[in-house]
Amino acid sequence: MRLRRSLWAGVLPEGLGLCFVAVIFAGFAGAYLVAEHFWTEQSATVRQAEADTLAQIHAKMLGLVADKDEDAIQAVLGDLSDMPRVCAVRWTDPDGAARFEWPRRLGAVPGLDGAERDGELRPAAASVDIRTASGSAGTLRLELRPRNDANHHAYLIWNWGIAACLTLLVFAVVYRRLRRHLKPVAAIERNLHSYADGIEREFMTLMLSDSLGSIAQGWNRLIEELSSMKRELQNTAQSAQSQDVLARFESAGFRRVVDRLPFGILRVDASQSITYANASAAALLGRALDDVIGLPINDIIDDPTVTRALVGARSRATAGLSVDHTRTDGNEETTLRFRILPMAAKSPDSEALLTIEDIGQLRESQRARDEFLYHVTHELRTPLTNIHAYVETLTKPGFDDEQTRKECYNVIISETRRLSGLVENILSISQLEVGSARLDAGEVDLQRLIRQMVQDNLGAADEKRIDLTLALPPKVPKVSGDKQRLSVLLNNLIGNAIKYTPAEGKVQVKLDVTGQCIRIGVSDTGIGISPEDRQHVFDKFYRAASDSVQMVTGTGLGLAIAREVARLHGGEIHLESELGKGSTFTIELPLPSSDRTEVTGR
Amino acid sequence: MSRILVAEDDPHILRLISMWLKRQGHDVQEARNGLSARDLLMAEPVDVLVSDVNMPGMDGLELIEAVAGEGCVQRGIVVLTNRWDHVSIRDQLAEWDVHVLPKPFSPSRLSELVESLTAAGTAESQTEA
Repeated sequence: MRLRRSLWAGVLPEGLGLCFVAVIFAGFAGAYLVAEHFWTEQSATVRQAEADTLAQIHAKMLGLVADKDEDAIQAVLGDLSDMPRVCAVRWTDPDGAARFEWPRRLGAVPGLDGAERDGELRPAAASVDIRTASGSAGTLRLELRPRNDANHHAYLIWNWGIAACLTLLVFAVVYRRLRRHLKPVAAIERNLHSYADGIEREFMTLMLSDSLGSIAQGWNRLIEELSSMKRELQNTAQSAQSQDVLARFESAGFRRVVDRLPFGILRVDASQSITYANASAAALLGRALDDVIGLPINDIIDDPTVTRALVGARSRATAGLSVDHTRTDGNEETTLRFRILPMAAKSPDSEALLTIEDIGQLRESQRARDEFLYHVTHELRTPLTNIHAYVETLTKPGFDDEQTRKECYNVIISETRRLSGLVENILSISQLEVGSARLDAGEVDLQRLIRQMVQDNLGAADEKRIDLTLALPPKVPKVSGDKQRLSVLLNNLIGNAIKYTPAEGKVQVKLDVTGQCIRIGVSDTGIGISPEDRQHVFDKFYRAASDSVQMVTGTGLGLAIAREVARLHGGEIHLESELGKGSTFTIELPLPSSDRTEVTGR
Repeated sequence: MSRILVAEDDPHILRLISMWLKRQGHDVQEARNGLSARDLLMAEPVDVLVSDVNMPGMDGLELIEAVAGEGCVQRGIVVLTNRWDHVSIRDQLAEWDVHVLPKPFSPSRLSELVESLTAAGTAESQTEA
């Protein structure tokens, strides 16, 4: 059974075995039908022959009876008894006397055994009345042996057996030829199964030159191509990896991300043509996206240094080589920094990625940082110079009178205070600007805080005989905030108002609670701020160029800090001013939501 | 005694320089910015000009450009600067004979410098006489 299975399974395709079995059965059935048909034909012929013989005997008997040739009649009847199926013959004259009887005693029929005699297979009998012109000459009775079924079966088995053998023979021949022809197909099938199962094996090249040679040749070519592809893949593993990366890159999700990056990305193939560009790249190059992809990079960036760097980076595999290129668009200049990333190591023919950044912003931030440092050092040197000069003065013998010494001490103390205030402010503004400042948030009693700030500034106001007043509503809801920073904010605004208000002027601090916020106003009758200066007054280190401002010492940081603190509390700071008449700074701080309804209801 | 003009926007420094030079017996005039310094110089020439660079209105460099060629300053100019680039300031003012003192400066060094300028001038004038 196993042998049979392997015989079929190895050679014949699935389902063909079943077909063969069906064909064999059909062959057997056909053979049976043919044998049966021949038997029927033969039986009919025999029957016809018997009928003809009987008719001839009948005719002959009529003649003989007419001639009254008793011997000839006896001879004919004797011949009749020799017929194979005739088992009894009796000739009686019209009187009923037997003239010829074979065998001698009826019933003992030769060739019939007892069972046939007693059973249903009784012999068939035929009586023929022989009449002449002179009347009845007698009766001829024949008993015929029944048709022999055993013979019939033997006949069928013989004929059918021969037909079946022939069928098997034909099948064997067909099978042998088919097997020869299907061998390569079976081998292909086996190989395919092995491949599908992931079995690493060398494909055996089929060496066949039979009638199916074309299939084998095709298969061989296929295997050769497959093997060479396999080798190629193994040899260029890195390229395969990058292909994988590229394939993933091409997948829609990742590509969407890359398209939205804030810096430009270009992919350049070996022929220096752009095969991919994201939206930022197109925008930075000042073109439409369709106007970039597919074009040589030289057409897009008219700068030989970029192209040279592109070639150089790929041949040396210098990752991250960067080149700056200034693009002029009308009057506008954009400085772009290209970073070149070769996709494969030291391969001049490989693809490369280019990132593009607008370094104008970077330069702007560098400039801002330099400016900040410049201002900081400038501001620090002024109190330092004073301290240095006054300390030296104290040590000199010519300046040892009481008044000079007192003056020197006062300057040194005030400048030291100024220096530490300055350092504090610089730290504060840098923290606030880079966002590293954290609010030490808590519940702040603004009413109390404002009173305290006004109190602290009363001395400075009194010196200039300035009328410093405070107006508070009866009830002020507490706010959430950083008490320390809010006090710096208020101190800066009140201090500024006093500093920039001429002697005997007025400074008013007032607090209003509206539905949504708390509004703190600091108004003065000071020098005022010109419309041009109003735009920059909150910029750090900005000080108006007018003499009236420059006469007053200041760092230009107070208002910048005030604005940042207000922003950090979710609030805003506004300025109204008229040159020569005075200024009003208004801080708006949002109220906690729970207090809003209470106040609105009032 | 020489006539000296001090142009300086910081009141403490101005007061200090003035104090030192007066102590040496000079006639010291004070200006809080470049413009008023120029007006004073145009009105009456001085022997030595001591000037800050960063000043409102007209800065020290503009002031020197405006007055140095006019014979308003007769013996020498001292520039006080707290700018980083005091070397480049020296270059900018190369055509005028100026002395640059970076801040923080030593007041005794300044008074020595002023003294040397006025003394040299006095020696020259004495020789001429």
